[in-house]
Amino acid sequence: MVTLKINSKEHTLNIESDTPLLWAIRDTVNLTGTKYGCGIQQCGACTVLIAKRPVRSCGITVGEVGDKDITTIEGLSPDSSHPVQKAWVAEQVPQCGYCQSGQIMAAVSLLERKPNPTDKDIDRGMLNLCRCGTYTRVRKAIHRASELMKEVS
Amino acid sequence: MKNTNMNRRTFLKVTTVAGGGLLVGCSFSSPNSFSSSNEKDGDLGLFVRIKNNDQIQIISPNSELGQGIHTAHAMIICEEMEADWKKVSVTTGSYHPDYKKNMFVQSTGGSNGVSAWKQKLSEIGAGIKEMLIEAGAEQMRVPKKECIALNSFVIHKPSKNSVRFGQIAKNASKLSFPNSPTLKNSSEYKLVGKSIFRVDVPQKVNGKALFAGDIKLPGMMYAQVAQSPVFGGDLKSFDKKSALKSPGVEAVIAIPNGIAIVADTTWHAMKGLKALNPIFGGGINESLSSKTIDKNFNEALNSIKEFSKDNMMLDLEYSMPFLSHAAIESTNCTANVTSNSCEIWVPTQSQSICFDKILEITGLSEENITIHTPYVGGGFGRRIEVDEVVHAVMISKEMNKPVQVLWSREEDIQHDHYHSGSKARYQIKLDAKGLPKQWDNQVVKPDFMAQNYKILDALNFNPFNYLFTPNDSFIPGMIGLQKSPYNIDNVSFDYTNVDSGVPIGAWRSVFIGNAFYIESAIDEVAHFAKQEPLEYRKKLIGDNPRILKILDLLAKQSNWSKPLPPGHGKGIALFHELDAVTAQVATVSVSPKGKLKILKIDCIIDLGNYVNPSIVKSQIEGGIVMGISSALKENIIFEKGKVSQSNFDDYKIAKMKDIPEIEINLIESDADAKGVDMGVFPVAPSITNAIFAATGKRIRHLPIGKQKLV
Repeated sequence: MVTLKINSKEHTLNIESDTPLLWAIRDTVNLTGTKYGCGIQQCGACTVLIAKRPVRSCGITVGEVGDKDITTIEGLSPDSSHPVQKAWVAEQVPQCGYCQSGQIMAAVSLLERKPNPTDKDIDRGMLNLCRCGTYTRVRKAIHRASELMKEVS
Repeated sequence: MKNTNMNRRTFLKVTTVAGGGLLVGCSFSSPNSFSSSNEKDGDLGLFVRIKNNDQIQIISPNSELGQGIHTAHAMIICEEMEADWKKVSVTTGSYHPDYKKNMFVQSTGGSNGVSAWKQKLSEIGAGIKEMLIEAGAEQMRVPKKECIALNSFVIHKPSKNSVRFGQIAKNASKLSFPNSPTLKNSSEYKLVGKSIFRVDVPQKVNGKALFAGDIKLPGMMYAQVAQSPVFGGDLKSFDKKSALKSPGVEAVIAIPNGIAIVADTTWHAMKGLKALNPIFGGGINESLSSKTIDKNFNEALNSIKEFSKDNMMLDLEYSMPFLSHAAIESTNCTANVTSNSCEIWVPTQSQSICFDKILEITGLSEENITIHTPYVGGGFGRRIEVDEVVHAVMISKEMNKPVQVLWSREEDIQHDHYHSGSKARYQIKLDAKGLPKQWDNQVVKPDFMAQNYKILDALNFNPFNYLFTPNDSFIPGMIGLQKSPYNIDNVSFDYTNVDSGVPIGAWRSVFIGNAFYIESAIDEVAHFAKQEPLEYRKKLIGDNPRILKILDLLAKQSNWSKPLPPGHGKGIALFHELDAVTAQVATVSVSPKGKLKILKIDCIIDLGNYVNPSIVKSQIEGGIVMGISSALKENIIFEKGKVSQSNFDDYKIAKMKDIPEIEINLIESDADAKGVDMGVFPVAPSITNAIFAATGKRIRHLPIGKQKLV
């Protein structure tokens, strides 16, 4: 038995502690916004936040996560109102959309660390893969989200 | 615009459904199309469904791979219907003969999702509007010619009375579909031509967009597969006992070319597969390697006639590597096969190829097969193939349970249907003015058309190979391919199919080598003739105002003539196909130590007219990114009969930091063009031509990789 705190809700799951967090989230908790892409922490499609830090959930077991707070794309906001989500819509970023949950989570975390990211910060902070080629719009959306966050605060 | 060419059979029969509403559908079967909402209270029509509450569901015959076709198709229908755009949702249809884009297939590929469907979908929208107006007029007891449709209302103009589409849909559905609905003039368009937001984006920013691997069915099992890493190899041994002891494992099942493990979760299946420890051996291609492929290519190239060399002749050789599609959604399929039905959920580009395979495996009758295509996590040509459908259907049939098959990334990279590697040799003779007077093309590559269509193999003929030439042959024209923009009188073409048994398929834009070869060679010839490469191209193009205009606009946009600092260079490349024209300029810098930086890509593209310019631009951007990725780093290597890479750590694709500023401008014309994937073509040659301009170093073999640039 493992207890995970996902999006402020506790889930007690009958799984082994060596289960990668990704598969606990997808197969057992049924939150399917977090995606499998590579299984070796290369692509970032499975990015979630653990204690506000971006983590590739395929590479950490539920045992390692312990009782830390996990945020998935579904927990970012109840109504897509997070500034990053709003910026993503305004810039019409997604194409196929498969990598976008991970891109958004990585962007949320980047903006926490760097509220005014330069293009270089974005190059360094956004390592998630996108095969459709949305990178230029991701960049624009991060700058826009940074502006939106200033308006809010 | 009056359309008089309606030939509908029962195609647009309208029927009433439970709960009311208008169905534009087909009389003999109405497929249960995949629906992300909970609308289960009736069958879906083939293209449009209006519910009593005014919600409109559009069913697109195409898969949404990210290219925005759901939005485009809905815009086309709603434009003619005068529907309220805010009330529209879109899904992809199951397999149905009326969703075929031509005589043969229901598929999403070839960059023709809009061009193949625009007329038909416009007629459907216009026909429904006329039926709604008639029903609305009847309900308001006014003459129908005094009524118009607007924003999902039928309005009686003199009295300003109105009824909602949802109120009259049921009555409208009893009317017959008009024989020749009147279409709008494009000048009257309110939606089409505008960069309105995509219908799928809201679900793609909150995790709710459903992909095939997100499907959960009651009692569903999860399967992982292992296929022979050596092409054509056999399974030699496996430890079934240990696998069955592994937690959650239920079964070990043979599949073509390998073995599958079935468990209660994906993770348990992954662990079970490890415990199963399948060992493969043999294989007809055990000796296959990138070296042997290259050797075979060279032998074929060198067996071709050599021309007498003189000081006005160039003998150029280029090569392109094999490439993987590497869509971020790994190959997968979920199937639920029972004794009398089969339902699958699959990211596919061809429902009809899936359908044919299911028929073959299950022997079920047609009406009991349903193919759901939720959002697809990138297609790029990979998902025309159906290996995973075979796996899922076979395993589900044997288990008598719903089964979700997910290929690990390793399986996905090692069992792709690759963009074929190739080599080209051009022997080009110039006249006294430095213009080509003779151009001989020799191309060797494996041919995916021949792999799939044995007749083409037997005839050693694939018309698409003519795209490698600045051709003037009648054959490309015969099948609708473009004549090269360059006027060269004596062009010959020699193609050899050198097939090493590696599975080959279509990649984004099908095959990108042709643009790299021709646009590199034209650039080399220009420099050899000591002429400015852009002016030289214009000279060869001659009288073609459409293409010349694009080149002039591109020169302006990219500041082509502006002098650059040392170590900087600009390169240009042009491509013309499917009546679309695109030209790009890459601006690069190469440091004294040879480090390459792409500073900007400028692109001008003329695809005729546009349903949604923002989406078109996003597709061109995407093509440019994939072009940069392949030009810089992608290269599938074969060793000892198998692909030596297996994941994103050794098959690297472009990241954010690799992508420069990209500026794209769309040109409108009256060309009947298609090709939203055209962006990818000119990328590699524009970059390598720019490297030459910056350093004098000519890159003739892709990827650029770690080749020395200074």
